Amino acid sequence: MDILFRFVGAAICLMSASSAALAAGDDAQAASIKRGAYIAIASDCSACHTAPGGKPFAGGLPIVSPVGTIYSTNITPSATAGIGQYSEEQFARAVRRGIRGDGANLYPAMPYTSYNVLTDADIHDLYTYFQHGVEPVDAMPTRTALPFPMNVRLSMMAWNLLFVGSGDNLTDTTQSAEWNRGKYLVDGPAHCSTCHTPRGFLMQELTGSYLGGAQVGPWYAPNITSDATSGIGSWSKDELARYLSTGSLPGKAQAAGSMGEAVEHSFSQLTQEDIAAIATYIKTVPPLHDASDEQSRFDYGKPFSELASLRGTNPIRSDTDAQASGAVLFYGNCASCHQPLGQGSKDTYYPSLFHNSATGSANRDNLIATILNGVNRTTPNGQAFMPGFGGKANDINALDDGQVATLANYVIEHYGRPGAPVTPADVAEVRAGGPSSSLLLLARIGIAVAAAVGLAIILLLIVWRQRRARMA
Amino acid sequence: MANDYSADVIVVGTGVIGCIVAEQALDAGLSVLMLEAGPRVERWQIVENYRNVPPRFKQNWNAPYPAKPWAPHIESELPDATTDYLQLEGPNGRAYRQGYVRYAGGATWHWAGICWRLHPDDMRLKSLYGVGRDWAFDYNTLEPYYTRAEYALGVCGPSEVELQWPPLPRSKPYPMGRIPFGQGEQRFTEAAARVGITNLPAPQARNSGVSYDGRPPCCGNNNCFPVCPISAKYDAASALPRIESKGGKILANAVVYRVETDAKQNIQAVHFFNPNKETQRVVGKLFVIACNAIETPKLLLMSKDERNPNGVANRSDQVGRNLMDQPKITAQLLLAEPMWTGVGPVQGSSIMMTGQGDFRSQHAGAMLRCENAALSAAGGLAALAKGLVGKALDTEIRRLSACTARLTIEHEILSDPNNRLTLSDKKDWLGLNKPNIYYDVGDYVRRGHQEYTLPLLKKLIAELGAVESQIATTFTNSDHMMGSCIMGTDPTDSVVDVDCRAHDHHNLFLPGGAAMTSGGCGNSTITMAALAMKASDAIVDQLKRG
Repeated sequence: MDILFRFVGAAICLMSASSAALAAGDDAQAASIKRGAYIAIASDCSACHTAPGGKPFAGGLPIVSPVGTIYSTNITPSATAGIGQYSEEQFARAVRRGIRGDGANLYPAMPYTSYNVLTDADIHDLYTYFQHGVEPVDAMPTRTALPFPMNVRLSMMAWNLLFVGSGDNLTDTTQSAEWNRGKYLVDGPAHCSTCHTPRGFLMQELTGSYLGGAQVGPWYAPNITSDATSGIGSWSKDELARYLSTGSLPGKAQAAGSMGEAVEHSFSQLTQEDIAAIATYIKTVPPLHDASDEQSRFDYGKPFSELASLRGTNPIRSDTDAQASGAVLFYGNCASCHQPLGQGSKDTYYPSLFHNSATGSANRDNLIATILNGVNRTTPNGQAFMPGFGGKANDINALDDGQVATLANYVIEHYGRPGAPVTPADVAEVRAGGPSSSLLLLARIGIAVAAAVGLAIILLLIVWRQRRARMA
Repeated sequence: MANDYSADVIVVGTGVIGCIVAEQALDAGLSVLMLEAGPRVERWQIVENYRNVPPRFKQNWNAPYPAKPWAPHIESELPDATTDYLQLEGPNGRAYRQGYVRYAGGATWHWAGICWRLHPDDMRLKSLYGVGRDWAFDYNTLEPYYTRAEYALGVCGPSEVELQWPPLPRSKPYPMGRIPFGQGEQRFTEAAARVGITNLPAPQARNSGVSYDGRPPCCGNNNCFPVCPISAKYDAASALPRIESKGGKILANAVVYRVETDAKQNIQAVHFFNPNKETQRVVGKLFVIACNAIETPKLLLMSKDERNPNGVANRSDQVGRNLMDQPKITAQLLLAEPMWTGVGPVQGSSIMMTGQGDFRSQHAGAMLRCENAALSAAGGLAALAKGLVGKALDTEIRRLSACTARLTIEHEILSDPNNRLTLSDKKDWLGLNKPNIYYDVGDYVRRGHQEYTLPLLKKLIAELGAVESQIATTFTNSDHMMGSCIMGTDPTDSVVDVDCRAHDHHNLFLPGGAAMTSGGCGNSTITMAALAMKASDAIVDQLKRG
């Protein structure tokens, strides 16, 4: 009897213990999913892996790269179309080393060069989230098919050998915990350098120009080092935090293009502590100065209007064939929102065109790209919207390359940084998706990568011969 | 030059109705060719045209749309311009001086964007009040098409059913929330409430706070007439690039002057003039004439042949008849206190309940509205007329701009076959007949105004605290052309069937204002658009069935 009691008692104890363990496991998994979801936001996974109007993380977004269009993959836990069969180790290898479950190499459109600093704990949470916190989608997105030699995924091995860092995430003990957290977020999940650090001949990040500004398709990711003139050294930490959280810093800058997406999908949803940490770290990035910058891109221009001299004298009408001047294009397209003096609206919904990085930058691409593509950025603060003026299906006007150039030149002359004028060819280039998509560059990179592959093969051959020599 | 152009669906007219049908057909996989009589220009050109118009023409919404010789329309209030194209006669010819635009994009270029649905009772005038005509179907039949049209255009409106018109359940909420009242409209709403009537926020095809279809939110340029400078208001011009991106072809400066029938009374082709006065023939499987209630019947009447001696689609002799609008009376007020109109869109609210009631067996009801256009131009001209100079002038301009208000009454009119469009003997630049229009608003409207809406208007004027007021004594146009290809089930007294298909020609559709059996007292566009949706379903069904 006693024994029976003990046995039953032990069994009950065991049962309750195991259900408690199960419950604890559920709680732990739920917490891990929650943390993983946050890291996915900080890493802006959805920016590429969720197509507009598509299911979350089901892939299929076409990413125009210098070497051709890459389609993002399905990273839902679908066993057939997604990463449902990935072990945590395989997942970690894909995120940190750019190696797919089947051993093939990913293209570095996937920023594994940044994600390789992600901690084991974050990788684990991310894995848990993608396996248990995301709805599986069984649809296979369009496969990426790059031209030769980029279709040889093996060529990425040589590239990885040359350009992927160690992935060590060393704490700088001379800096605060906040600074270290900021550096981790900036260099890891947020992968800032992917866009803001210029790339070399083989499309590798030039570490010597860390966050010094670079072309990203039609847009230009500017210098965000601490240089007071060429970078954002003139911004306070609070201003940087406001910009990251809302995408707008009146009188200085606003986010559009891929930075608008980063703000919408990632920065605006991070905790205030993490945003502050990012700002703390970014403020300490070594300054890179461009000698041609005499004043900050945020300080150019002033209110200006020539309405009084324009109205009533030789007005352009739609039934005349006269070429519209910059002023006419400005008042017909811009002034209804940005106001006749270019001063924007009092509530700053419409930015002023002076004291604005889009007009004050030596690089004109962001101004051109904004005119052509507009702005569409939604944060918890609401939507910031500017339509496109380049004649796409839903654009409100169809300005041609010459008209955009004329308009852009009027804007930079009166509200921005004067200097080299915008040409219709510049506009055509941005319209086509940016300089990096030019065929010339494509060919150059193709050949260069081929050369790198050849180099790697030669190196391997040398090693093989040396081994054989030793064996012999 | 035969058969240069062809498509499954040939759409004549590129206004809101033509664009809805074109896009629905394209989405169903049909090929579409659109023909537009007038030119195609960019929005910024119209904006600059308007801003450069001399002040005395600024109140004419067609002034920024200079007419091409081959596509005339009324362009200004100058006597020559108003009589040159439309030949108006009858007791109220002035009230049919319609300001539509023959440009790609049509008259929605300068509409206010107001989207009042018909009330169910508006569609049963004969059975409820013994006047006018009943529609061939009821409100519930039209409701889903209203909703689709509202989503196609992007209509914002209140979510509370008691603020909606009609105050009945909707199949879906408005795609966007309402635009708040400016101070002037708020004041008018309060004055109306003290008189015991409700001023409702207007549903409007205007983006409130968010973008819609790539168009930005309204920022209150208060410039809806004569063009929304930023495309926050829907206009059909904004749909044209999207139609082209879906494979639709748009041919501007193509003035269709003849609809060609075959022995089986099917439409074979339409013929158009280009600006060089050369003619071309366009063939298709199905034809849509979407030129609203003046140009559509004009084209049908011009197309008479031996099989159709009264014109195409006109066996009933109803083509061109039953012309309707909402005869308008305006009032200008000077208030003791500032009214501050001009904040937000040019129109944003109306009193709708005054269109309903048993009185409709005896006389017309009407919609009453406080215009929300900024009245700085009116204030400025009035101040100048006082001969003031310097600071005194400045102060007076400010005072008059702030303290002036404009009220509008738009009356319901009954369909009357005597209100009729015919072909004038006078010819336009291309040698085509100009439209001749006989128009009499009728005793129903006159009685309604004298006995009902005028006393109501005077109460509102008093309640607003007006120190001066001028009430117009002449009915004017509301630009809501309706009725001239009237819908019905009986081919002997109507032109089109319940799907806007011509009774006489199986492959000819005439959607839009001309098909409306009655118009109520609200703006006609959203009902036209709903009919276009219904017609689109029938068109796609007819062509897909083979």
